[in-house]
Amino acid sequence: MKQVTLSVKDLKKKIGDREIIKGIDFELKEGEVFGFLGPNGAGKTTTIRMLVGLIKPSSGSIKICGYDVRKDFTKAMQHMGCIVENPELYPFLSGWDNLLHFARMLPNVGKQRITEVVELVGLQARIHDKVKTYSLGMRQRLGIAQAMLNSPKLLILDEPTNGLDPAGIREMRQFIRKLAEEEGMSVLVSSHLLGEIQQLCDRVAIIKSGEIIQTDTVESLLATQERILWRVEPLQKGVEILGGFTEVIVDQTYIITAYDELETPEWNAALNRAGVKVHEMNRKLPGLEELFLQVTGGGGAGIE
Amino acid sequence: MLALNNLIQNEMMKLLAKKRLVIIGIIVGILVLMFTYAQFKQVEEQQKKLGTVDWRAALQQQIIDTQNRLSSNRMLDEWREQLEVGLKQQQYYLDNDINPSEPGAATFTRMFLENAIDLFIPLLIMIVASDLVSSENSQGTIKLLLTRPVKRWKILMSKYVTLLLSVSIIVAMTALLSYLLSGLVFGYQGWAAPVITGFELNGSDVDVSQVRLVEQWKFLMMDLGLVWLVAVVIGTLSFMLSVLVRSTPAGMGIMLAALISGAILNNMVSSWESAKYFFMVNLKLTTYISGSAPPIEGMTLLSSVITLLVWWLLALIVSFTAFTRKDVY
Amino acid sequence: MNKPKVLVTTIVSACVGLFFLFCLGWAILDHYGKKTSDLGGKEAPPINKDLPNDFTVVALGDSLTRGTGDESGKGYVGLVLEDLESEYNHKPLFHNLGINGQVSKELVQQVKQTEVRRQIKAADVILLTIGGNDLFQKGQTLIDYDSQVITESQKEYVENLDEIFKNINQVNDKATIFLLGLYNPFIGLDEDLDTNRIVRDWNNETAEVVADYKNAIFVPTFDLFQLSVKDYLYSDNFHPNKKGYRLIADRVAPLIKWEDETQ
Repeated sequence: MKQVTLSVKDLKKKIGDREIIKGIDFELKEGEVFGFLGPNGAGKTTTIRMLVGLIKPSSGSIKICGYDVRKDFTKAMQHMGCIVENPELYPFLSGWDNLLHFARMLPNVGKQRITEVVELVGLQARIHDKVKTYSLGMRQRLGIAQAMLNSPKLLILDEPTNGLDPAGIREMRQFIRKLAEEEGMSVLVSSHLLGEIQQLCDRVAIIKSGEIIQTDTVESLLATQERILWRVEPLQKGVEILGGFTEVIVDQTYIITAYDELETPEWNAALNRAGVKVHEMNRKLPGLEELFLQVTGGGGAGIE
Repeated sequence: MLALNNLIQNEMMKLLAKKRLVIIGIIVGILVLMFTYAQFKQVEEQQKKLGTVDWRAALQQQIIDTQNRLSSNRMLDEWREQLEVGLKQQQYYLDNDINPSEPGAATFTRMFLENAIDLFIPLLIMIVASDLVSSENSQGTIKLLLTRPVKRWKILMSKYVTLLLSVSIIVAMTALLSYLLSGLVFGYQGWAAPVITGFELNGSDVDVSQVRLVEQWKFLMMDLGLVWLVAVVIGTLSFMLSVLVRSTPAGMGIMLAALISGAILNNMVSSWESAKYFFMVNLKLTTYISGSAPPIEGMTLLSSVITLLVWWLLALIVSFTAFTRKDVY
Repeated sequence: MNKPKVLVTTIVSACVGLFFLFCLGWAILDHYGKKTSDLGGKEAPPINKDLPNDFTVVALGDSLTRGTGDESGKGYVGLVLEDLESEYNHKPLFHNLGINGQVSKELVQQVKQTEVRRQIKAADVILLTIGGNDLFQKGQTLIDYDSQVITESQKEYVENLDEIFKNINQVNDKATIFLLGLYNPFIGLDEDLDTNRIVRDWNNETAEVVADYKNAIFVPTFDLFQLSVKDYLYSDNFHPNKKGYRLIADRVAPLIKWEDETQ
């Protein structure tokens, strides 16, 4: 049985009369990368800020490695590292001084550990330069280095790939996987990009309007929601035929249907038989908005 | 438990890296040079007006005039004492070859401090104080600070201690710079020159029974103590705004408005008695020991100090309560 | 950012801050507490010197020295000592060698006595009243006015006085001698002011003798009793009462100064 590093029970937050977070429950286990998925405004950020102690929950409990964030704040925080939104460090200090600054706020973290984390994120060459001269990717890495200073059991990353170029995103992804697999760290990643979550996470929670709608492994979640884009000619006939098998949505020149490993080739055959030319068959991961549309059965996709 | 001194070290490191103190030093330097030049011009003008008359002769004449007034038997006793004190001062100037209208750097420093206490020094303090917390807010680094395994009150305490330290540096720097720079023109003498103090105001009457002369260095030290108190109180109030208001300019604006309204009120509140409970009316502490009238009847050094301390305490309570409770979005 | 710079700045500013706190306390205490003026002190430096521990006052003379007529028994000598004590919080050593009714001739003998000489030797200040009994002879001379007798007794007195000073200076020429002049107790009775002339003359002669000795000071008392003499005389109409002694003490006490021997 793997150790539970983060346990959230019936977490709620009210601002005035309005309940922003309406009771969230989930658990993270050692070595697991957990995705926190939701559109902007769904309550992701609020939830994460409650996890790291920036916002006080109205009710419910958060335990990090068994320590309650509210009652045992300092102990809970010793087992956690985090980057909330962009890694905002002091631009007027060097990378090293930034790390020194945060190391001083931790018990028993010395120069040796700072050197270690600098090597871990590969910033040795520029660590004594001022942070304002860093690229976004380097800042991101410095942010992670700072989160790793206390060798946390739980790492919380809020939108870690925000603003990174594709190479940076891939690098980040590999790094996070490495942490989970080699160091046995639990990582909580929030994102609004499904693709990113898919490649990174073992499990995903989808949050909308302050509630977790679904928690599942990525594969099973996506399997149900994958879709296919058809470009056929003539369009009208294609719609008729495909409409006979499944639900169709017409989006300009495309027809969108659900994807089914077994059935889709048959639909294709049927189109062919009817003399409809299939120019393009495009298997697509659903966008988050659409996923929500389907998971929640329509309605405003988390736009509050 | 993490020692507070680590956190203070952090704050000092950031303060120094931001070079705020250097900027303040430059501002003070420029202003002092300006005032020194103005003072120098004034002295020149005065000398021109007096023509070729030696200041010693003029001072001697003044002393004799005072002595003649003293010997008049219609003189009230309290006036007599005041004149006698003034006479001693004039005699000292003459004996020690100090031209009273051409003061040394020590006198310049004292006058500069006395004039800077209610607006200039508070402004300098604001540059540091209103930035301490809200800059973390606007940079977003507050999120990093508050997710460390350190209690929030400790983080704020380290910032407040840093504020006290930088207030001390700024006051010392102002005094030192004005002494060093004005000394270039006026010379570095004047530490032992006598200064009149001991006025007490009872209602509208000036009680001069305690009037006496103290050496200027002592007077300067007292002035510095009072300036420091004002600086600490203003710093604490700006600090509170820095906690409450997210943006540095907004906090500064509020404080600036308060200070300027204080300067205006000082000139017109004499009939509005309860205005004496405003902190900004109580900033000119040095006037009590140098003997000018307070803006509102009945204000004394003690009442002003207590008023300031009450504001100080409230600001601290509000700062700490707000900071430890507030949600960071 | 090097660590020493941060550390040094922190420590320096902490020290500066504490210093300012001290200044603040001082400013407030100074404003309300005890007042010391820097230049006021320079006005009369000897007065502010502490009374030496072995400061000794020796009083010689007649009934005025004894304090006859003062119901509290202090006389001007007691009052002078009280003044000194209250000003310096320290009581001087004191010997009262006054004898009621003593005349100058007797005092010449007294100052030759070994014990008296020993005490005079230790004295810093010598207070002296003499001559009243030589002149007035318990009130007889002036009433039965006889200029011949007076001239003779005056001549004798001047010689004795010179002798007394010489004797004192033999053992101690450092002590300051305060010789009190005579007042005229009969000023109220006299209409043509003859007695005034005689006492004035007597005092002038005395002052002439005193002038020969640079450590001796003649302290006039004549003017003190010139107006409203009755308010200041005891019921015997001859010795001063308590108020009269007060007047004399107030004149003598401020004159008492000393040189610091260490200087």
